[in-house]
Amino acid sequence: MNGYLGKILRVNLTDRKISTLNTKDYEPWVGGHGMGSAIFWDLVKDKAISGFDPRNVVTIMTSPLTGTLAPGASGRTELQGIGVQSYPIEWFTRSNFGGRFGAMLKYAGWDGIVIEGKADKPVWIDIRDGDVRIKDAKRLWGLDTWKTQEEIWQEVGGDGKWMVPGAADKGGRTTQRPAVLAIGPAGENLCRIACLIHDAGNASGQGGFGAVWGSKNLKAISVVGTGSIKIADPKALMDARLWAKTHYAMTPDDVTMAPQYFGMPSIPIVFWPRPKQSRPQACLGCHSGCRARYATGRGNESSCAETAFYSQFELKRHSGLIVSAITSLLERFGHEAMAFLVRIFGGKEAPASYIATDLAQKYGINAFELFVGLPYLRDLYKKGVLGPGKAIKSDLPFDRIGDIEFAEKLLRMIAYREGIGNDIAEGFFRAAKKWGRLEEDTDTGLLPYPQWGLPNHYDPRAQLEWGYGSLLGDRDVNEHDFIILTFIATLPIWTRKKLPFSAEEVAKIFSEKLIPYEGDPLMLDYSTNNMYSEHIVKLVAWHRHYTRFWKQSVLYCDMRFPDFINSHTPDRRGITGEGEPKFLNAVTGKNYNFADGMDIGKKIWTLDNAIWSLQGRHRDMVQFAEYIYKTPCCKSASWSGLYYLPGRENGKWKYITMNDRHIDRTKFEEWKTKFYEFEGWDPGTGWPRRRILQSLGMGRVADELEKKGRLGKG
Amino acid sequence: MMGKLSKPSQELASRILAEVGFEDRLIGYRLHMRLGAISTSLYSFEETLNLLCEQYPRMDFALLEKWILEVMGDKELSEKIKAIIKKDTSDQKKTYRIRDLMAERLAQCK
Repeated sequence: MNGYLGKILRVNLTDRKISTLNTKDYEPWVGGHGMGSAIFWDLVKDKAISGFDPRNVVTIMTSPLTGTLAPGASGRTELQGIGVQSYPIEWFTRSNFGGRFGAMLKYAGWDGIVIEGKADKPVWIDIRDGDVRIKDAKRLWGLDTWKTQEEIWQEVGGDGKWMVPGAADKGGRTTQRPAVLAIGPAGENLCRIACLIHDAGNASGQGGFGAVWGSKNLKAISVVGTGSIKIADPKALMDARLWAKTHYAMTPDDVTMAPQYFGMPSIPIVFWPRPKQSRPQACLGCHSGCRARYATGRGNESSCAETAFYSQFELKRHSGLIVSAITSLLERFGHEAMAFLVRIFGGKEAPASYIATDLAQKYGINAFELFVGLPYLRDLYKKGVLGPGKAIKSDLPFDRIGDIEFAEKLLRMIAYREGIGNDIAEGFFRAAKKWGRLEEDTDTGLLPYPQWGLPNHYDPRAQLEWGYGSLLGDRDVNEHDFIILTFIATLPIWTRKKLPFSAEEVAKIFSEKLIPYEGDPLMLDYSTNNMYSEHIVKLVAWHRHYTRFWKQSVLYCDMRFPDFINSHTPDRRGITGEGEPKFLNAVTGKNYNFADGMDIGKKIWTLDNAIWSLQGRHRDMVQFAEYIYKTPCCKSASWSGLYYLPGRENGKWKYITMNDRHIDRTKFEEWKTKFYEFEGWDPGTGWPRRRILQSLGMGRVADELEKKGRLGKG
Repeated sequence: MMGKLSKPSQELASRILAEVGFEDRLIGYRLHMRLGAISTSLYSFEETLNLLCEQYPRMDFALLEKWILEVMGDKELSEKIKAIIKKDTSDQKKTYRIRDLMAERLAQCK
């Protein structure tokens, strides 16, 4: 089994039994999410349990590419189980994190970890090659995620000196620190928005898995390994990496372009300005350093929403700096120089954003919930319903929002469930429900949580594959595959510069790569006339299948794949289609083509839907929040547009503004029917039919659905 | 350029430096490749200016001009913004010009 280690670690915390699963039994699912779903299906007999139930199983899976040279695929790890964040049902869900944990797990000889049961007191799992022990975590319980890691590093070793972690099974030696995945106080206190943290800046954020671990009394998993991964064709793998570097700029040497984001510098993706003394940092084996390490030591390796949730408020506190800078230079320089100046100074020099981000990590709190929820909290304060003596009691000092004191107080209150923090620890959606505000605030969109009680990301009224896919699935998909379509047009229109591609060209290039539905450019027509069509059915299905396999099972990173359009190639076509299977085949020695992967993706997606069906899903509950149907996206009076997507008007392709659009409930219901039919699911219920399950080799899944009265008709 | 705006009265300066209530807030958007178009409530002149200092800010300039006139009570600034809106130039440049004017006004008031 090239690319695999052949065994999956199975740890039952209830009876402290350590055993193994044979990876070979799950090899048809290839890795990551596919294997995780299949294992979950096999081991969890009652899928309708709560995420807090000890019978819930958490899988932590790698892929054949983990720990290898495959670009953008070596450092990710997929985590699954019944989460506790979504509403009204705690869906079987997924999360994913970067760093070096998955690679270290494979170097220790394991393709994944399966956690079952609940320990009777706090424990941590110590993996040193083949030597696995469940240890008392009494001294770790109560520590933050960083301190926990430090304590474990101290105990296991990894202080830069040679260590022999696996002496019991004749392992090798290493100078590496163990890779640790840990919860903080938020997880211990069962906050539904608690996450898992690995090293710095790697968070398994969505799903509330920090709380799931807390409910199992599992504080941390540490792994250190000295082995290696057998590659079927090392030369082919090296050649593939060089090919990707030469033709598609998949190299750390070129920081001018990142393939997924045409024209976007491959620099750390952070919402604070990088201080001069910083350097990019990558997940293990990745060609792209998308986070940073700073001389200050603050905010290290955090990226994306983690860096945004508080910097959006810190701006408010420190704009005096910007104003001083701007006004003093206004006369000497023009507007272009001013734009440069603002980018450089940005007004975010003070450390509150960095400290708040680090604190969220230490407590183990999901930063994306904070990013969307914190502005909601402030709106309630400004509305006069939250504050001292108000309907929602709170002594949070909103006049200090943007300062570190506010962040420290809020984050502590959430992690330790103090005061209003006890409500927010349930997630902002459940908090709004408790406060009696849910109906009003999801009607107006003041609480922008479009599906399953989870925060808005890309707006479903505009970015259709994102919104529809999130609703038909289990979480905010957080898959940026088609986002480049927005930015190809939006930024040039904003600046009145030449568009790099016409809408028709971009639709053509993308559609060529949408195997097995290739050659249908109308899949990229985001116009209102097309948003409920069979073409958008195919777009959403393609996206669900692609991500379930290539990104969540083979574990290509969302930051770098797919690569539809690439500015380095003569024909502007990216690596997607040819690249994904090339690396997988070099490592495994198999002969997958891109379409094979899409077929497995469909199978995984359908299995997931079978699990959701058993959890209680019915098509009638697959509904957006009311504001998505009632209010326009980006309400506008006279502006040129928030952002644009390709589409057709009067039969002609152009970039169309998404302003003022909402989703029509009746038409969307009709669209759902088409989607269910397309996937082979019963449009009356949304449950998978026997026919599709059998055609995908999942007859036993059909049997169980039938037994539980959840098999689709027809 | 500096000096485009006449010195504000103390009353106007106070309004410009104060926060507004929920009903008087302005809505703007932050646009980012990883996060999408994030709607944001703006409760003060300063916050609004800060949004315009972001890399890809989005705002309905007509609403901004109305807000400056009706909520802030700054007729002079609102007229200058109105003039910028009418210019045949990119939204990016309009953003910069409005931002610079607002920065000048805020500096006068501080």
